[in-house]
Amino acid sequence: MAVAGGSLPRYVGQRLLLLVPMIWLVLTLVFLLLRVAPGDPVSAAVGGRLAEDELERRREALGLDRPLVVQYLEYLGQVARFDLGNALSDNRPVLEIIQDNGGATLTLTMGAFLFALVFGIPLGLLAGRRRDSASDVFIRVFGIVTYAAPVFVTGLLFVLLVSGTGWPTYDIASPMTKFNTETRTHILLLDVLLSGSSEAIWDVVQHHLLPCFVLGLFLSGVFIRLVRVNLLQTLKGDYVEAARARGIAEKHVIRRHAFRNALVPVITVVGLQVALTLSGAVLTESTFNWPGLGTELIDYLNARDYAAVQGLVTFFAIIVVVVSVLVDIVNALVDPRVRY
Amino acid sequence: VKRTRGILAAVSAGVLMTSLAACGDDSGGGSADEGSGNDSGSGGGEAWTLGTTESITAMDPAGSYDFGSWNMQYSIFQQLMSVPAGESEPVGDAAESCDYDDPTTVTCTLRDGLTFSNGNELTSSDVKFSLERNINIADPNGSGVLLAQLAGEDGKARADAIETPDDTTVTFNLNSPDTTFVKLLSTATTSIVDEETFPGDELLGDDEVVGSGPFKLSQYKEGEQVVLEANESYDGDKSAQAPQVFVQFFKDTGPLKEAISSGQVDVAWRTLSPTDLNDLEGSDDVEVIEGEGSEFRYWVFQLGNEEVQDVAVRQAVAQIIDRETIAEDAYDGTVTPAYSIVPPGFGGQKDSFQEKYGEPDVGKAKQILDEAGVETPVELTLGYTPTHYGPNLVDEATELSNQLSESGLFETSIEQAEWEQYQTLYKKNAYDLFALGWYPDILDADNYLTPFLRDGGFYSNNYSSDEVNELLDQELAETETSARDELISQLQDIVAEDVPLVPSWFGKNVAVATPQMNGVGETLDPTYIFRLWEISKSS
Repeated sequence: MAVAGGSLPRYVGQRLLLLVPMIWLVLTLVFLLLRVAPGDPVSAAVGGRLAEDELERRREALGLDRPLVVQYLEYLGQVARFDLGNALSDNRPVLEIIQDNGGATLTLTMGAFLFALVFGIPLGLLAGRRRDSASDVFIRVFGIVTYAAPVFVTGLLFVLLVSGTGWPTYDIASPMTKFNTETRTHILLLDVLLSGSSEAIWDVVQHHLLPCFVLGLFLSGVFIRLVRVNLLQTLKGDYVEAARARGIAEKHVIRRHAFRNALVPVITVVGLQVALTLSGAVLTESTFNWPGLGTELIDYLNARDYAAVQGLVTFFAIIVVVVSVLVDIVNALVDPRVRY
Repeated sequence: VKRTRGILAAVSAGVLMTSLAACGDDSGGGSADEGSGNDSGSGGGEAWTLGTTESITAMDPAGSYDFGSWNMQYSIFQQLMSVPAGESEPVGDAAESCDYDDPTTVTCTLRDGLTFSNGNELTSSDVKFSLERNINIADPNGSGVLLAQLAGEDGKARADAIETPDDTTVTFNLNSPDTTFVKLLSTATTSIVDEETFPGDELLGDDEVVGSGPFKLSQYKEGEQVVLEANESYDGDKSAQAPQVFVQFFKDTGPLKEAISSGQVDVAWRTLSPTDLNDLEGSDDVEVIEGEGSEFRYWVFQLGNEEVQDVAVRQAVAQIIDRETIAEDAYDGTVTPAYSIVPPGFGGQKDSFQEKYGEPDVGKAKQILDEAGVETPVELTLGYTPTHYGPNLVDEATELSNQLSESGLFETSIEQAEWEQYQTLYKKNAYDLFALGWYPDILDADNYLTPFLRDGGFYSNNYSSDEVNELLDQELAETETSARDELISQLQDIVAEDVPLVPSWFGKNVAVATPQMNGVGETLDPTYIFRLWEISKSS
């Protein structure tokens, strides 16, 4: 994005200011879409067994009979005070939901990124280096398939494959039962590390591997293609030709000159992949009964729990928007042309 | 078969799978024993794990009205009465007995020496407090509405509704005669809470609840897991057979089926699809156990629509519907055809539809319509929702529609809507005939009559009959069993005659368990109370 003036602080300030209208827009859209959709938390929970007058009484008790404008302004006021309210269907504070379940989503997405980088970058590098070879074709096809295949399909296939081996295929709850892990950070992986129990750590790692791998596989497709294309482009660069002309070995040319430059756009894309990762996490969590925010979001959506859905989507939106701004800022730092 | 599936999956997922699969080995954990803990139980059993797709709205009895919450509350709290497995009449639990002094007065005598798991005494004052707070909090997710007999016109608990003359006596003064009230005292909505722990005007946090039931809540992680520990201070007939029970919550049936297949949970209860159950029946590793159920599926006529205002049209549908075929083709035989709106086993139950209509017969249906002068084919719009009652309802709707169309007497169309929209549509007369389901709050025939028949029922189908309303009042007030059963039978006959709805099937109560589990089959009865305290796991 070209910005007149070119000052980095000014550019950063403008990007930060843009946060406010972006988040407001998301909040408003979520609020309206939920109200446009048929049903409400009361009919979702007990609509099939209580008479209309009792349903109405319950709606009144929840304040759902008030004018939409009043509800909307109240909602915006809450968010402005960093209060995301309480879920209507089970009275849980939304911030508590984020605290309790956010750790599972965090470890899932971080693990998936790790898998994606570990698989995606070397494979992309290999494909770029051996352009049009059999391995290049195979890796390209692999990249397309992993990106195109829906996460829940891949996930179910892996569950089917792994289920016969005794490897855990769902959730991360067993440490709570088997090892009585104390909740300290709400991030189970950290909690078991703090507990120092090697058994518990191994158990938690085992439970993480499959979901992280499946989501990571999905993300790796993007990295494979990106690294490959960028490597091919950098390999055509004058400075690479110059390096070759100086008699530098091809492996050094690739490692020291081409590869590093090929990774610059990848760093940008890693940030932008956050939104993709979060949406993938929702599906992955659902597939693996993973107790993260995505699973909670689906539950609350099914329950038409306006407050919880608004709160969780707001949280997701803030993360995506903030990361996008951070990416812009990093871009501006790395490449000064961006801010001019 | 399992191996073949694995190979197919491997091919489909690609070569990278092998690297991960190679990591899995039997020592990796996740086996049934590991997943379930391995402590020795005070009753000689082991800890075990239940897997379920039910969820918990609130642990506090004043904040829930759903299977998942109620089943936790049955384990954590005591009620005055309790329904033993396989029986329909309640017996004393916290109370030695509860008896009618007259049709509007019930007196309960508590057992001596009852205590909550925190050591506090359980007295009649706690009982009064528990029921009054449930009514007064009137939580939007709660079941206080079931205690309407104790509420005044303002919706709050009447001051004179519950009397506690001494520590072990509780007297309930009802608004009107109600012979089902003692049964209500066995439901989780009447769970007894500690008045020194629970606030009177708001819900208590989920992980803070304290009761006097066979288990106490040890750990609770919302949406994931409940850990129950045997309550050592419990002194009653429902002592826990295992030191710990883990309840693992699943979001979907797929992972639940996978978990029980691989032994990661010991018992799977509610809700596996008929297809899943059929698959599992062929497995050597688990046992599919069926018990009687009380889930009810039915088709309601919207009498606000001209097409079905003529009773002959409704009777013709009742004459044509082939419930056996619906049960077999749409549900793989996992449900039982329903010929009454009251399930078998309930006092006064009779198969009135079977008696009146006999076998499905298009000829008789034609005769009914001809005699009434109804022009055929009659156009009917059938409605159903694919998002609330399971995936098989579409098969049921299609089958019923085909049966009616193939008779030549009806020209049917099927419409579907997502559950939320469906509720609005059926009340707005969008369908002539629409499908609904029901689980009882209490095991009493009235729970299948009053909500359905009085003044259009809760589903507002515009059916109204003074005779029915009067009979409902009479059966609720009748304390003599045989006389009440007679009234209930009469009501079923009227339903078969007037056909405001057509019963379709009754569900079974089904669980899947590993061979080490004991007591699962015994608890599978129409109450849908999963008596965790009666289940144990052998070594």
